Amino acid sequence: MPTDVYAAIADPTRRGILDLLAEDGRSVTELAAPFHMTRPAVSQHLRVLREAGLVSERRAGRRRIYQLAPDGLREVDLWLSSYRRFWHTKLAALGEYLAETDGQD
Amino acid sequence: MARTESAIRTETFYPYPPARVWRALTDPVALAAWLMPNDFQPVLGHRFTFRTEPVPPYFDGVVHCEVLELDSPRTLAYSWRGMAGMDTVVRWELTGTTRDGVAGTLLVGVHSGFDLTDPAQLGGFRSMSGGWGGAMVSALDTVLATIEREE
Repeated sequence: MPTDVYAAIADPTRRGILDLLAEDGRSVTELAAPFHMTRPAVSQHLRVLREAGLVSERRAGRRRIYQLAPDGLREVDLWLSSYRRFWHTKLAALGEYLAETDGQD
Repeated sequence: MARTESAIRTETFYPYPPARVWRALTDPVALAAWLMPNDFQPVLGHRFTFRTEPVPPYFDGVVHCEVLELDSPRTLAYSWRGMAGMDTVVRWELTGTTRDGVAGTLLVGVHSGFDLTDPAQLGGFRSMSGGWGGAMVSALDTVLATIEREE
């Protein structure tokens, strides 16, 4: 059963981890330092993020690097993209309105 | 917040002075022409609604708003509540500027507060489809397309 994506990002530390990973892939050790957390605590957060499909891992030699999973936050993007399209249509309508009423006021 | 940020930002240039764009944003008749029918008044704290066709069961056709900022002809903000629990803010900033030698107004819009970590918004949003995926997106698109078609 995959972890709920919004339960996963409800935690501020996990949002912070996602923001760091958005810059570049990192190891558990590299993630632990900025949050002043133990490696097991970071691993626990990473497990939640991985089960939610937000983070994936790859091996680099003996190290495990965690990175953002490209499609993880797509659902949030879908919600926003509907509104983005709405406003672009409306702002185009505003342009037409301004052109049509030019010189009337 | 790089990836978890939840706002929409638009930047649009109009070849008209800020005072004219401001009127189109704050005159209820003008607003109805390009956005939606409304009872907006340019008064700080004024509560008003935008109204459009309901799309049952997702949307009763009413967006509830309150004027939060009003600084003519520069800044306008109002809350934007409706459509299944969403509790957001729409903010406009107008700046007189010149683009390609044409004087006009840069209109920056920020629609912020989309927060699916807020249980109320998440619950409302999920109720639109009973789950994630294509059904939810098409339901939302139906709602917004209905508003777009409004004259």
